Amino acid sequence: MVFSLVDWGTKRKRKTADITQALSVDPVDVATLRRMAISEGGLLTDEIRCQVWPRLLNVPPNLLDQEPEKVEREDNKDYNQVLLDVQRSLRRFPPGMPDEQREGLQEELIDIILRVLKRNPQLHYYQGYHDIVVTFLLVVGERLATVLVEKLSTHHLSAFRHLRVFFYNNFIVIIFRAEVGTVFALSWLITWFGHVLSDFRHVVRLYDFFLACHPLMPIYFAAVIVLYREEEVLECECDMAMVHHLLSQIPQDLPYETLISRAGDLFVQFPPSELAREAAAHESMAASTFKDFELASTQQRPDSVLRRRRRQKPGAPESSAVSPVVAVAQPSTARRFVRLAVMGLTVALGAAALAVVNTALEWAPKLDLFP
Amino acid sequence: METIWLYQFRLIVIGDSTVGKSCLIRRFTEGRFAQVSDPTVGVDFFSRLVEIEPGKRIKLQIWDTAGQERFRSITRAYYRNSVGGLLLFDITNRRSFQNVHSWLEEARSHVQPHSIVFLLVGHKCDLEAQRQVSQHEAEKLAGAYGMHYVETSARDAINVEKAFVELTREIFELVRSGDIKIQDGWEGVKSGFVPNTVHSSEEVTKGSRQCFC
Repeated sequence: MVFSLVDWGTKRKRKTADITQALSVDPVDVATLRRMAISEGGLLTDEIRCQVWPRLLNVPPNLLDQEPEKVEREDNKDYNQVLLDVQRSLRRFPPGMPDEQREGLQEELIDIILRVLKRNPQLHYYQGYHDIVVTFLLVVGERLATVLVEKLSTHHLSAFRHLRVFFYNNFIVIIFRAEVGTVFALSWLITWFGHVLSDFRHVVRLYDFFLACHPLMPIYFAAVIVLYREEEVLECECDMAMVHHLLSQIPQDLPYETLISRAGDLFVQFPPSELAREAAAHESMAASTFKDFELASTQQRPDSVLRRRRRQKPGAPESSAVSPVVAVAQPSTARRFVRLAVMGLTVALGAAALAVVNTALEWAPKLDLFP
Repeated sequence: METIWLYQFRLIVIGDSTVGKSCLIRRFTEGRFAQVSDPTVGVDFFSRLVEIEPGKRIKLQIWDTAGQERFRSITRAYYRNSVGGLLLFDITNRRSFQNVHSWLEEARSHVQPHSIVFLLVGHKCDLEAQRQVSQHEAEKLAGAYGMHYVETSARDAINVEKAFVELTREIFELVRSGDIKIQDGWEGVKSGFVPNTVHSSEEVTKGSRQCFC
């Protein structure tokens, strides 16, 4: 969609007014704020984000005024790794920022991470976590970032934990399978795309969207990117490594607004409850015949899903990506393939992300996966 | 331009966090060095052709892995389909050298029924003044495990080619002698000569063929 500058200026003004209005009523109109965060342009400015992000995460206002506590760095088990990772994450700071200012922010970044980890011993630092925290730090500052990151870590990011019921068997299978066809998107998920997008504005726009949505929305967004790049995937060599390589390099000029709205549509078409039902079916199959499941998982590799999708439509000269919205209007086969693409990502990737982000250690020792 | 290769070898690069895995691979595949390099989140992929003898080109597929412990459950899935590996430690970080043994154990227990030809790499050898592991000691350890040892620097481009090319040669000899065999369902080694098929180019370029697998 293309708007003239004048149109967008008017829209922007109206949107700002709507947000101010939603914030000023008592109780705050969170439903409207959510809609604003999802709709075109997201929350527009960092000033607005400072006001709205806490509301989207449902943070009690009294928490927002708390001074962050002092951090004991030396006796923290994660300190060394955090330090090493933050020191070499220069890419995540705006180009042209004076060294001194950047170094100050890096110190704050370390403190936020250690503070949140210390207060929540069930959480574990993983490489990529700092990519999430730095986004919050740059947008809302240290004090607010501490509160928001803590809430996010114990809620949105732990969503992967809630997948465990239906990923329990799949998880084991995936770990021992040779080809991990969806790991290309692992960094997308566990950093909320912060690690892979070079334009900070795009990252922040996505954070508006994800904060306003179901914790599994990043998976739907990943699926939408794969579907959007259908043509490229089909033209790529038929080789897991090449597909991984192609997909892991996200083009920097993606039409984010369009993809956000497609991800929303996809979520409505295939809500987590539906995926859960389907995953449960896969799970019983995996338990009965390992081979069958292995085959099914291979077929969920993004390239094979797209290839089969294409074969169902012989002779149809496609323009680039097929919109999921179009797919829903088509017969059930098309719908099935879109669902498969989402499934492939959720089953394999949910399990992979879970392994890294996992906060539910109580079941891990039983599986002996974390020696 | 299509480039024909004789074999494709899949390699994995492992070692502790911050020993310089990504920098070494970038130096080898892209010929450049960045002073500061982001931590690897999950698994990254690189590829390059090497010529081991005149006219004999091998395509290397290289998996770069996150060094942090928490990613182990992901990265270990990549051992089984690798024919070779570079095991890195940082010569200025004794801890990373002490962990070489556990990296080998980790690899060996997840590569069954295949095996991986490893090369031990002492990285950051430009930082001689901060050295904590002597060359002699590293060679002894490598010898005990039947590995070759090489010291490299991505910053000064020392021995980077040599490390990859020597490992490639070693694997090539094992393939030639039949000690390593190409097998269906195993991605470690692939032959570049398939009748009536034009095979891959060096980079990921658009091919005209459609394959339905």
